[in-house]
Amino acid sequence: MAHNFKTDLWVDWCPGCGDFGILAAIQQALAEYNAKPENYVIVSGIGCSAKTPHYVNVSGIHTLHGRAIPFATGIKLSNPNLTVILDGGDGDLLSIGAGHFVAAGRRNVDFTIILHNNGVYGLTKGQASPTLPRGTKTKGLQRPNIYDSLNPIALALSVGYTFVARAYAFNIRHAKDIILRAIKHKGTAVIDLLQPCPTYNDINTKEWYDQRIYYLDQDKEWDPIVRKPEEEEVERKYLQAINKSLEWGDKIPVGVFYQNEFVPTYEERIKQNFPNYFEDPPATSQISKKDGSAVADMENIFKDKIVRK
Amino acid sequence: MSKTDIDLIIGGPQGGGIDSAAQVVIRSFTIAGFESYGLREYHSNIKGRHSYFHVRIKEEPVRSLRYPIDMLVCLDGETPFVHMDDVTEGSIIVYDSDFENTKLEQVVTMEPETQKHLREKFQSLKVEPVVKNLMEYQKSRGVKVVPVSFRKLITDTLGQNKPPARYSNTLGASISMAMLGLPADITKSGIASVFGRKKEVVEDNEKIVDAAYKYVDSLGIKVNKLNVREYRERFMVTGNEAVGIGKVLGGLKFQTYYPITPAADESFFLEGHDYFEEAIENQNEQLRKTGVVIVQAEDEISAIAMAISGAMTGARTATATSGPGFSLMAEALGYAGINEIPVVLTLYQRGGPSTGLPTRNSQADLLFALNAGHGDFPRIVISSGDAEEAIFDAVKAFNYAERYQMPVIHIMDKVLANSFYVIDKVDSSKIKIQRWILPTSDTDEYLRFKFTETGISPMGFFGKQIFWLTGDEHNELGHITEDPETRDAMMEKRMKKLEIASKEIPLEDKLLVFGDKGAEIAIVSWGSNKGPILDAMEKLKAEGIKTRFVYLRLFSPFPSKEVAEALKGAKIIIDIENNYSAQAALVIKEYTGINVNKFILKYNGRHVTEDEVYKSIKEVLNGKDKVVMTSGA
Repeated sequence: MAHNFKTDLWVDWCPGCGDFGILAAIQQALAEYNAKPENYVIVSGIGCSAKTPHYVNVSGIHTLHGRAIPFATGIKLSNPNLTVILDGGDGDLLSIGAGHFVAAGRRNVDFTIILHNNGVYGLTKGQASPTLPRGTKTKGLQRPNIYDSLNPIALALSVGYTFVARAYAFNIRHAKDIILRAIKHKGTAVIDLLQPCPTYNDINTKEWYDQRIYYLDQDKEWDPIVRKPEEEEVERKYLQAINKSLEWGDKIPVGVFYQNEFVPTYEERIKQNFPNYFEDPPATSQISKKDGSAVADMENIFKDKIVRK
Repeated sequence: MSKTDIDLIIGGPQGGGIDSAAQVVIRSFTIAGFESYGLREYHSNIKGRHSYFHVRIKEEPVRSLRYPIDMLVCLDGETPFVHMDDVTEGSIIVYDSDFENTKLEQVVTMEPETQKHLREKFQSLKVEPVVKNLMEYQKSRGVKVVPVSFRKLITDTLGQNKPPARYSNTLGASISMAMLGLPADITKSGIASVFGRKKEVVEDNEKIVDAAYKYVDSLGIKVNKLNVREYRERFMVTGNEAVGIGKVLGGLKFQTYYPITPAADESFFLEGHDYFEEAIENQNEQLRKTGVVIVQAEDEISAIAMAISGAMTGARTATATSGPGFSLMAEALGYAGINEIPVVLTLYQRGGPSTGLPTRNSQADLLFALNAGHGDFPRIVISSGDAEEAIFDAVKAFNYAERYQMPVIHIMDKVLANSFYVIDKVDSSKIKIQRWILPTSDTDEYLRFKFTETGISPMGFFGKQIFWLTGDEHNELGHITEDPETRDAMMEKRMKKLEIASKEIPLEDKLLVFGDKGAEIAIVSWGSNKGPILDAMEKLKAEGIKTRFVYLRLFSPFPSKEVAEALKGAKIIIDIENNYSAQAALVIKEYTGINVNKFILKYNGRHVTEDEVYKSIKEVLNGKDKVVMTSGA
């Protein structure tokens, strides 16, 4: 019998929340990717999006505000054979967790980051998040936002993410396809997942997005993939993605912006010094003999500390 | 034959090879069959400021350092000033005569406050604050002064092409060993043992050894030859390295860290020993290569988060940090608490608050270790007092973390971290690894937080079972709940594990009582003060003053009954600690109601010495309620 990727909990998001679409897309992507259910781990931070793991019937770890990336990194590096997917809000990943977001780009650990982007902090009543443009006054704000917004796609590209995409919560099938591509990507994938917040963001509504979104993959000329491990090719695809990331307003591109699988993952970098890392990862490595004594030997491992005559 | 007991300080600029000089001294004396223990003191600076190394050498195991010292070796013009009071009648000062005309005010590397204190001292002594005059003063009070032109001796030996500054450390060390009567060939072995792989460096330095011995010979000073003892194969490790060794023997597989003094040396050491061969079976028949993954994280929050989540895959994981980094880890510590995650955090205390004294000693993080993080959650807090304890405690930290499924904080301090210890090999058969309870059935629905009699639930892992974790209060499956009854049950389940730990952890891991167990004078202390206190107690005993020493090792769960028992009948209880507020005494009061009534405290960031503890206890016995120890440069 096929594994049921839904838990039987009541999903407590507001009616009309973009998270419902993202949840459905994740569940479908996991079913289609077809790993052993025990081998998936969904990691989240804090906020509305952070409840996602509880609604997916695979292991889930709902962590601290801003820290989903380090938690996901610890899991993946301790057991590189797991499939790790991370859900974080725009405030979670780009404000309180911004340092981790930058570091993750530099590491390129093989996992997928789904950035739930709705421009607001929903669970604390609609404060402005880092993706809300300056001058915007959503209904939870006392005054128009006086912070400038940041561009998650350009930020991700500039710090080294090797798969950068955007999807839209209410095109579940497309979002599922993008998530699946992100999971299959070797390295850190980030998806800027646009989602309305029907309760607090009365500007970027479903209607607002529906009028603006267009799909990059409908353009036959659009090729976001780095095809050769050559500097010129990488630079061309990178600049093309940066340029595309600047499009926002009347038209909003959705799809894969950039993909480069020639960058070694962090796990592969570990393997350079630890050749059997994937076969004998920290998670399952034997540490004691049958009698409970240590397998590690001080004289053997720390011989450089012996004072020799 | 009189017993050997030598205290030696070698001082010079940071970046001037003090560390190598220290290694040469300790390794040479180890090769000669002596016991030694040494400490590095340094500024938060890369090059230029004053640093020194204080070592003590004996036939018996060395537990502490002592002032006044027997020999001071000055590699620059600052050391003679800074350490002028560390010597006494009969001590020897070896100094670089090229700095003879250095005036105190010319020592730009010295902090203005230190200059001011010294200037005042020179004024009261009516001595010109110039190295030359200082040496005359030292001679006048019976100190033997040996001038050496380092530059001349080095260039005469190695020619003009070698920079003298690069060899002054080994020259200083060699002269001191020549004067202490250690045979030259042993000093050469010590040199080879330090610079082993660099052939040219070894050859040059061997020439320096010969020159040093010849020079000392030419002085016509009577040197008592030391009787070389039997060599044994031993390990020279710092406290940082001891913890690293303990962790690897204990099965560490994943360590995370963010650079910070004095914790980072542990992870740096592990990075150099992260791929090795292990014997899986008892008879060493099967060897395999395996490794430890060490991750330098982007900050301490990330470091602890990675270690916590890594533990949920089944790996033994740990992180190591110091005060400021530990402050950042507080929130995640609570996450490990509510999610019952076995993670080990090694906490190297340094002077606080804030950046404080980043390279100096402190024991002021005890209360923070016991209370860090919001809300109530169980944790185990253990403390080590020397390298051997640190090795075994690192293993026990993992065992406790997994057995009781909670975070374990293993407290060290700067003195432990940066001291050199010479220890015997720890046999792997003595390392006992105890892990979690696993689920008995693979088919039943797995409940990560299953209610049990002990509060301990069978452990599941990502990759094995399906379950949830959340920082919210949760049900047995790990899903969020705010149900009041479940909240009570979960809170009680988690906290109950501390009672089980309290019952199971053996007495010797809770506290040790040294000395005369019925003595009316009781000393309480912890951490790196153990050695100096034990040595001071012997001196007191020789004078007929009996003392007992309640040495605390486990702070959470606090062994209240055992501590009360150990202090029973004591008339005077003296608390010795390296912090302002006598934190361990506060903990004793909190858990046992016992009032500690005398205090010997130190918070200047420097190490506690045998003589200082001895003197301070005497002051307490003469009626003082509180003594603040102030020694150390």
